[in-house]
Amino acid sequence: MSNENAETLTNRIRALRFANGEMTQQALAEKVSVTRQTIIALESGKYVPSLLLAFRLATAFGVKVEDVFQYHSGTPRGRSPT
Amino acid sequence: MCSNQKFAWFNLAVIAFTLSVFFGLVPLLGWQRAQGALGIAGLMGFGPLWFWKKRGQVAMDERDQKIHFHSWAMAAGVMLWLVYVFVAVFLVPAVYGQDGAVPVSVVQVSVYWSWLLANTVMSIAILVQYARASSDVQ
Repeated sequence: MSNENAETLTNRIRALRFANGEMTQQALAEKVSVTRQTIIALESGKYVPSLLLAFRLATAFGVKVEDVFQYHSGTPRGRSPT
Repeated sequence: MCSNQKFAWFNLAVIAFTLSVFFGLVPLLGWQRAQGALGIAGLMGFGPLWFWKKRGQVAMDERDQKIHFHSWAMAAGVMLWLVYVFVAVFLVPAVYGQDGAVPVSVVQVSVYWSWLLANTVMSIAILVQYARASSDVQ
């Protein structure tokens, strides 16, 4: 059974890192006070950050949160998309 | 390898060493006296030293805390079902009878072994959760 209705949160951290002078994962990790493994997990979409970390990441890149993270809502059961 | 993983590997190493000493002493001292070896597991008390952070270093972030918490929850769940439900509700009445008396030494042993079990489950759960998210691409 596929999970077509699942909510997802994608991000542009990797792209933004390269757009900011090819910042390394370690450099970004130090900037937002997390470990490098957390940056790896975020980039691969395996970890959804807290709101606080999301804002710290956006601030580190000098952009808005919605420029870093994109929320894709699932279609609720029994409702058609409008 | 992050602090959480080092902590988990350290715990597993201590548990493995404790068990090997325990099973090594059983033929020499007998089952009950060999349990003194379980005291070696107290070395796990040094585990939190892995979270000692240097200036400017992040030892544990929000993801690490979540993983640590989930691992403890799993360990507590296993302990609850296996030790308290299975042992206390089914095994002890089967061995000592519904109106029997449980020796104090059995209670002590249960506490020791359940503590070892909980730490083993927690450590493995930590390592598994990190292994799932380790596509190490720079």
